[in-house]
Parts: sequence; structure tokens; C-alpha cells
Amino acid sequence: MTEFKIDVKKLVFHKEGDTGDFIKYEREKCDGCGMCVLVCAASLWSVKDGKAKLAPRYGERCMECAACWDICEREAIDFSYPASGTGITIKYG
Amino acid sequence: MEKYDVVVVGGGPGGAYAAKTAAEKGLKTVCFERGELPGEKNSSGAGLGTRWWRDFPEIMGRLPDLPSYRKIDMIVIKVVDEENRLRLVQGTTGSDRDGSRHSGSLDKGMAGTSIYRRDLDPLIADLAVAAGAELRTSTLVTDVIMDAGVVTGVRTEKGEEFKAEVVIAADGAMSTVARKAGMRNRWGGGCTLVPQVDFACDRKKLDAAVGNAEWCWFGPFNGAYQINFSESFHLGAGQWLRPDWDTKPQDVLNRVMEIPAFRQFCWLVEAEPREFQSHMLPWLKQPPKTYAGGVMLVGDAAGFPCPLDAEGIWHACMSGRIAAETAAWAISKGDVSERALAEYERRWKASKLGDEHRFGPEFVDVWDHSIFDPELMKKLIQFLLEFSELHPFAVLFDWSDDHVNCLNQHMEHLMDIMPEFSDFGKKYLQPLSSAISPQLVRRVLLQAKLKMPLVRSLSDDLFLKILARLNRRVATALDNPRWR
Repeated sequence: MTEFKIDVKKLVFHKEGDTGDFIKYEREKCDGCGMCVLVCAASLWSVKDGKAKLAPRYGERCMECAACWDICEREAIDFSYPASGTGITIKYG
Repeated sequence: MEKYDVVVVGGGPGGAYAAKTAAEKGLKTVCFERGELPGEKNSSGAGLGTRWWRDFPEIMGRLPDLPSYRKIDMIVIKVVDEENRLRLVQGTTGSDRDGSRHSGSLDKGMAGTSIYRRDLDPLIADLAVAAGAELRTSTLVTDVIMDAGVVTGVRTEKGEEFKAEVVIAADGAMSTVARKAGMRNRWGGGCTLVPQVDFACDRKKLDAAVGNAEWCWFGPFNGAYQINFSESFHLGAGQWLRPDWDTKPQDVLNRVMEIPAFRQFCWLVEAEPREFQSHMLPWLKQPPKTYAGGVMLVGDAAGFPCPLDAEGIWHACMSGRIAAETAAWAISKGDVSERALAEYERRWKASKLGDEHRFGPEFVDVWDHSIFDPELMKKLIQFLLEFSELHPFAVLFDWSDDHVNCLNQHMEHLMDIMPEFSDFGKKYLQPLSSAISPQLVRRVLLQAKLKMPLVRSLSDDLFLKILARLNRRVATALDNPRWR
């Protein structure tokens, strides 16, 4: 029988072009709780030495859901959108 | 600097419908969309219920020509147990065949439409342009211009400034405009995150397997929706973004995709996952303040999705329409101050949109305290199995009328055919008690009375009077001021 597991890398599509820096992270405010790691479907966040760390080329993978911004109780994460015409594109529906 | 009467931020359904309405009112209107096309950044369920025919016939009439269209007559609920076995398949009532009439009657349940946002959003944007609004795509609004606490325009990523009498923010759950205008920040637990996967499949086989139905999957794990399009379907499931979030978003779906019955279905229709996305969806008890000086929030930006089932596109279009009408009224008066725009909140609260939110806390509570609780879910499954010929889920999944009316109709129906429902209702639907009409509360109590040998002989009125004396909640429910 068909068996599925979601492979995010294969199932998310992005446009070419420089997204700019649209996630701002204030390290001092972070308490390393790791909620950003958990809610991010694109796995852009990790926790090292008690502090969250954002993947360097996150613009190429971010799905623009902004869950990291909404979940962060310390308000260490600020989210805007990538430059227009760049970032995720819904290819099918 | 260019000057407009109305600047709309966001070209999704709420923004485009606001722009359409504003242009029809003769206002000079521009709508900014960050994608190269409206809908390019958006994906949701997305099913449109029967009330769309009543409120937006100009949109509904055009949908059958679009590639992803599937007509929907009913919802099929599939319930699995702890061992992933399919235990119950339950169809809600079907609809009248023409599907084009708004119907509040139970016999004519739900009819609607599945449509991709990629199809729907450009269609509404086209209607806005046809009405005379200007649409600027590939334009990201990054800030608002404020003057003495009043929003007077917006600034784009390129530093261009656009002045406006009124700004309508339809820029989604993360609303840049709402945040920059100082109206709010994080949702703080009121917003869900919805992972969703799009499956491609064989069109004819999908027709044969699902017909004109949406599917829902329920089990001790949670609930998931399956929206069926012409040759594809969406599987999605939301959960509130709160500190108790304990899994990766995609794992919620991976769990559903383990159900053998789901895998069989996928094999049957030759389904393959082809796209994944994750989006925020506000699911609030009540929207926070929806206006400030020079600005009104619509759709997800305002937190309007239905407190009962988080449907949101109808709410976006309704609030967009009301915001644009209020803008026209305020501009003609020459007053767009916060005080003047309070009219927006008065108007939406008095509309069908307001009806939807009148019992918001009760609707959200019923999910919050019940269906997302695995233990209760087990009991609920047992309950459903015991009464499998009935359709209690229809309580939650009828789109045929405004949801608060549906809820009462269905409760009443259930009481007619199943007196046992009063026990279940007392236990598990308690959080909904103030959303239930006093007449229904009366019936629940009187049915309970019949089972009490000692008090059975009392007259109904005396029994209720004593009960109301003894219990303040009963008294409030029987004299519910919100039903006046």
C-alpha cells in the first residue's frame, strides 16, 4: 500500500531572487526554549548553547508562515516579508 | 506622492473585495499585492459554503469555469479508533440539486464549492479591476505613514509613499499594517498553524471515489480536513500556536497519512503529494479592535475567521465589503478619525458577520476543551458508534446557514430523534450553553426531568423555576440576554 511521509524539501517551491533579510532575531532576548524549532516546518531554527540559531540561507527555504514570530513569548523574533516577487510561491494550489 | 481615497494592502479575497466595493462607490482606489499575481502566496482549504450564493453571487457564478472547481453537496466524516481502524463513515445531509439557493433548512444541508486560491484570488482581483480599482502587484508594503496618531498612507519596500484618506489592511494573519499602526503584535495563543499538503491524483478516479463531497478525518490524534478539488485534494490540520505545541507541523499530517483507509484511498485515486505549505490561521474567540484612526482591518488581519470552524474567506469578503462601505461614508463626511471609523465595528457587529462572532468564546471552547482532547475524542468516537445512524457531526459542519443558526437547528433536530443527546450535551457541550437558545435549554432540562422519578410529577414550569432558583447558570441560560 502507498506510504507517505512529507518531504518538505521536495514539496516547497521558491522563486529566484534575493529575498533580503526578513527575519530579525535578537539573541539577547532569547531564552533558548526551542519553540521556534518545533513550529518551523522548514527546520530553519536550531538551539545551540541555550540560544536559538537561524539557518544562514533561510530565505531559500522559509515558507513565510511567521509561526516563529507568533510563538516566541520573549518577542526575540521579528518577521516581515521577503522582497516582492521573491520567496515561496504556491505552484499548484 | 500619489494620493488615493482608499489604499488597500493585500490582494487576497478580503482586500480585492474591499477594493471592488470602494471602486464601485466611486472612490479612487489602489490595491497592493506582494506576489506577482494575487493568490500566488496563498493556499487554504478552501471550501465555500452555500451562503456565498446569497452574499457573493457574482463570484459563485464564475467558479465552475475554473480548473480546480468541484461542486460540493456534503461532507463525509471518517472516524478512526486508537488502532487506526476506520470505525465510522458518516455523511452529512445532502443538498438540493441546483445548489444555488441559500437554504437554512435542514433538508437542504450544505452545498458549496472547492476552489484553489490560485483560481479564486485572481478572479476577485479581476472584479476589483473591472470596477475601476487599480491593482499593483509585486509591491510589498513595509510601513504605514502616521500623522498625529492617524494612519494617512503607506510606504513600500522601495520607499515610495502613497497617501490615502483611509487604509484598509487585508494583509493576512501577520498584518504589517496592524503592527506598524500599533494596533497589535503577536496573537498570543489565538492563532493556529495549519500544515497542508496538496495531492495530485487521477481525475476520473477521484470523481468515482469522492463524488461531490469534502472529507474530514477524526481520531484520537486530532481532526484533519480533506478538501477535494477537480483532480487533486488538500489534507490539512490546524492547531493553536501555544506553549503546549509539541510536534513538527508536518508530523500532524504524517499521522493522518498512516491511517490504512487513507492510504487505500490514495492508492485507489493514484494520489501523490506534490506540494506542502504551512500557514497561520487566526481562530479567535473574538476579534480584537478592528479599527483605528485612518485604518480598518479586514479578513485574517482582523482575526475574523469563524470561531466555530475557522472558515475565513467569506468573513474576509464580508468584512472587506463593510470596511469599504464605511470608508465611503467616512470620506463623504470628511471625518476618518478613530471615532468616526468606530462605525466599522458597529456595522460588522450588526451584520451576519457579527452573528458569527456573537458566541465566539463558546464555539472556540467546544474545540479547545473537547475535540482536541484525545480522551474526550475516544468517548466521542464511542458515542458516534453507538448512534452511527445519526449525524451529530452535522452540528459542526453544516455551512448552509450562518453557523449559529445551524447549530440550533441541528441541536433541535437531534433532540427530536435522540433524547439521549441531552445527556451528552450536558456533559460535553456545556461550554456552548450560552450559544444555545433558551428554548433549547428548556427542552434539555425537561427531558432530563422525565428520567427523575421523584420530580417527574412536578409541572414543567415549577420544575424549571426551582432549578433556576438553585442554579444561577440555569437561570442565566433560561433568560439568556444574548438571545434578545
